[in-house]
Parts: sequence; C-alpha cells; structure tokens
Amino acid sequence: MMSAEQDPDAALMLRVKQGDMAAFEGLVERYKQPVLNLVYRMLRDATEAEDIAQAVFIQVHKSAQRYQAASKFSTWLFTIARNLCLNEIRRRSRHPTDSMDAGHPENEDQPWQQFEDKVTAGPPETLLHTELEDKIEELLSELPENQRTAIVLCRQNELSYEDIAKVLGCSVSATKSLIHRGREFLKAKLKPYLRTGHWTERK
Amino acid sequence: MTTDPTYRRLLETSWLRPLTTAEETELRSWLAEHPEAVVDWEAEAGINHALGALRDVPVPSNFTARVLAAVQREQQTERRRTAAWPQVWHGLSRWLPRTAVAGIILGVGAIAYIHTSQNTRREQMVRDVETVCDVRSMPSPRILQDFDTIQELTPAPRPDVLLLSLLE
Repeated sequence: MMSAEQDPDAALMLRVKQGDMAAFEGLVERYKQPVLNLVYRMLRDATEAEDIAQAVFIQVHKSAQRYQAASKFSTWLFTIARNLCLNEIRRRSRHPTDSMDAGHPENEDQPWQQFEDKVTAGPPETLLHTELEDKIEELLSELPENQRTAIVLCRQNELSYEDIAKVLGCSVSATKSLIHRGREFLKAKLKPYLRTGHWTERK
Repeated sequence: MTTDPTYRRLLETSWLRPLTTAEETELRSWLAEHPEAVVDWEAEAGINHALGALRDVPVPSNFTARVLAAVQREQQTERRRTAAWPQVWHGLSRWLPRTAVAGIILGVGAIAYIHTSQNTRREQMVRDVETVCDVRSMPSPRILQDFDTIQELTPAPRPDVLLLSLLE
C-alpha cells in the first residue's frame, strides 16, 4: 500500500479531498503535460485531446472524496485518462462521421502535428527530424490501443512496469509483452531510418 | 532477440529510462561477449531515442485556468443542487400527505370498482352456465317429430275437474 509520505502527489490529493484548490492546481500544473501527451497520442486530435485532458482533471476533482492512496496518484490519474479516451474512441466508433484528423481551429489547412520547433537545429537537420517525428507519430497511431498506451506510458520516467500494468489492467508480463510487440512493429517500420543512424547519433 | 536474462533486464530498463553509467558499462561488456546481439541493441537504442525525442504536445497557457474554472462551475452546480433539496423536500412535505390521502381514496375506489365488476361478471357467467345446463337437460327434439300430426287431431275432451276434485 502506497502511503501519502511515499507519494507526494497522494499527499496533495489528500489535501484536495479537504477542498484545497491550491493543491489541485499544483497537481494540474504537474500532470497537464503527460496527460495531454497520452490523450493526444490515443486520440490523434488535439482539440479533443484538450477537452478530454480537461475532463480528466475535472474527474479527478470529482472523485477526490473516493480517492484512496492505495496506489500511486499518477497510476490512478492515467487510468482515468485512459478510460475517458476509451469512452471517446467508443463514441467515435458509434459516430464514425467525426473526423479523425481535425484541422487546426484557426487554419484548416494546417495540421495539428506541426508543432512549434523548439529544437535549435539547422534547417536540413530540422526537416529530417520533423519527418522522422511525423513517421513515428504515424506508426504509433497504427499500433493497437493497448500497445500504444503502454509505449507512451513508458516515456513517463516515473512509472514502473507495475504502474503501467495497473493502468492497462493486465499483468506485468503481459505489459512487457505488449511493449515488446509494439516496439518490434516500430523497429520493422523504422528500419530504413534507424539504419541511417540519425536517431542514435542525436543525443 | 536474445533471451539472456542480463540483456533482457538491461533492455527492459532501457525501455523505461536511460541506462545509468554502471548499466551502460555492464551492457557494453555484455555486448563485447555477445557481438551477435549488437544489431538488435542498436535497433532498440534507436527506438528508445526516437520515442524519447517525441515532442510534447503543446499545452495551452490557459489550460490550468480553464480546468479550475470548470471545476468551480461544477462545484456551483453541485451547491445549487444541494441547496435545492430542502425546497424540494419542503414542497413535498406540504403536498405529500394530501396526495397520499387522494391516492388512497382513488386506490380504494378503484379496488371496489374492480371487485364489484368482477362479481357481476362472475354472476353473469353462473347464469350463462345454468342456462346451458337447462338446455342440456331438455328432452330430445325427436319426441317432437309427430308434433304437427298430434296438433291436427281432434282436441281431447276437457278434463273433468269436478270429478278429480271429488276423488282427491
């Protein structure tokens, strides 16, 4: 059993339980980026990802009274995020007319994937990096949902395999198997890029 | 891919986080002994780097403010709902007894009506059954086959009522 002393986020959550909005704000600030990353990579729609990420935190606040520090806060949070995403995916499958590749709200011609380039690299290198990023984003979206979620959660340095397994609702060995299969797919598809050594050289 | 436990442990660790210097050293020495695994490791390292280099999705600067505003709206709605309950209960407490009495009266009336109509129907059914029974106990219609002939015969002499009374 995880105690509030072991998990500072659980301690914050206990304060949220007592109506402390500053503690809640702290949690939102800390987790908005990883939650949005996960939700976006599950839904591939930035507008919906924002709405769902917002709904995740609202759900966290609503469920604060029921929160038990039995597991890590982040595990609980990502479980909520995944469940809301799955609901959204189910809703989409019932209403398939909704676009899976929504355009930018201000400029319909501009896709959401073109994020501001924060890497200070020369133009040709930047171009290659963007192409590879787009490729890997595309390949991630081709993975089955559970493999994709497992791989994206692996990027959260604080999560262990046990935590990821809890979010996915399966065993640790099944989680590792999902990650392995997902990575094998990525390896096969990215072989030409990996052979160039661009990814391995860039640190 | 090799199933060597050392390699698997280091590989699975590398999926979660960058290897520490000690782990890197351990891996290098292991790879030196198992050169056949170098290609696989390079591919794995490439994927690790590719996934690690994925950019964060831009978070709107007003995201936290929007979440907090939405939570406050939820709280206000909840408070209004909670505050509305006493009024609803007060209204119910005024009307509930009257509604209950009216409901009981209507219920009793409905039950009485149903009971009476059922009894009436049963009695009607009994009468119908009796009629059918009477019809079944009547003599066979064959005894009426000579009715017309008998009817045409000279009427029989009237009974001697006086004599009958004397004999009694």
